[in-house]
Amino acid sequence: MIIGLQIVAILFSLSMVYFAVHSYKRGELNGMEVTGWIVVWVGTTIIVVFPELLQTFAKTFLFTRVFDVMVVGGFILVISMVSMSYLRTKRNEKKLEELVRKLSLKSK
Amino acid sequence: MKIFIVIPLFNEEKHVNNVIKEVLNYKLPVVAVDDGSKDNSFNVASKFKITNLRHEINLGKGAAMKTGADYAFSKGADAVVFMDSDGQHAPTDLQKFINKLLDRDCDVIFGSRNLNYGVPLVRYLGNKFASVLVSLLFGIYVSDLICGYRAVTKKGYQKIKWESTGYGVETEMVVRTARTKSKYCEIPIETIYLDKVKGVTILDAFGILLQVIKWRLTI
Repeated sequence: MIIGLQIVAILFSLSMVYFAVHSYKRGELNGMEVTGWIVVWVGTTIIVVFPELLQTFAKTFLFTRVFDVMVVGGFILVISMVSMSYLRTKRNEKKLEELVRKLSLKSK
Repeated sequence: MKIFIVIPLFNEEKHVNNVIKEVLNYKLPVVAVDDGSKDNSFNVASKFKITNLRHEINLGKGAAMKTGADYAFSKGADAVVFMDSDGQHAPTDLQKFINKLLDRDCDVIFGSRNLNYGVPLVRYLGNKFASVLVSLLFGIYVSDLICGYRAVTKKGYQKIKWESTGYGVETEMVVRTARTKSKYCEIPIETIYLDKVKGVTILDAFGILLQVIKWRLTI
């Protein structure tokens, strides 16, 4: 069961590395960004293959299982990324609105 | 007092011709703001000797109203009257807004429809619920919260300038009127429903409800 989960997680991490590199080649990510993502996904793969690496961390923060640490860590990562993405979208919306309104007023 | 009429416009080629034609009878400057219409609305409005502004992409009613108001006030307007372009608002009611503005009693004037003038019951009930909710949260009771027929003076606009780009604009105007303690009044208006699928949908209403909660915390 655990091995099955690990295989799925490894395949997912590797495909995410592929997408990061693909986006870099298309010029959607810069060098720093692609490096950051590769570090994240390779790190995830290492933790998935050797979950005992997180054992000390789990004990320190009173988690019963390493799996729980990974789930909680994943949630924190996802929530923070969604929040960042939301803020960026709001900022871009605002900029777009200002630009469109400015162009409209400028035409008169 | 220099009063401008601002008409936000989005995909209303069927109705805008009549609306502008009737509004022009009042000999007031008219600003039509086309909010990225996909149909022929802009060209129809451009046939008239009015100011036609255009958003290259659709931003929403609130943004169009703000563009129109910014333009009008930059051209020396003392007040603007907002009017929908779908023919829902009777141009004959314009005189009521003009008279009220000339009285100089209020900075914001809200048009208010009532059941006698044929508002569908579901909309009426939803509107009433929203009015009571806003009254409880902000201490202001406006009987028709989402009616787009309203007027604002320059002073009022500076105080209540809104952030909403979409259909939340009307409710935000009410909320900001309360928060800035601006002087406001309501006048009864007639409403004609020509197109059942247009206007605020249930999804829009739900979005506005969430925004009301957000404004309670942020404004």
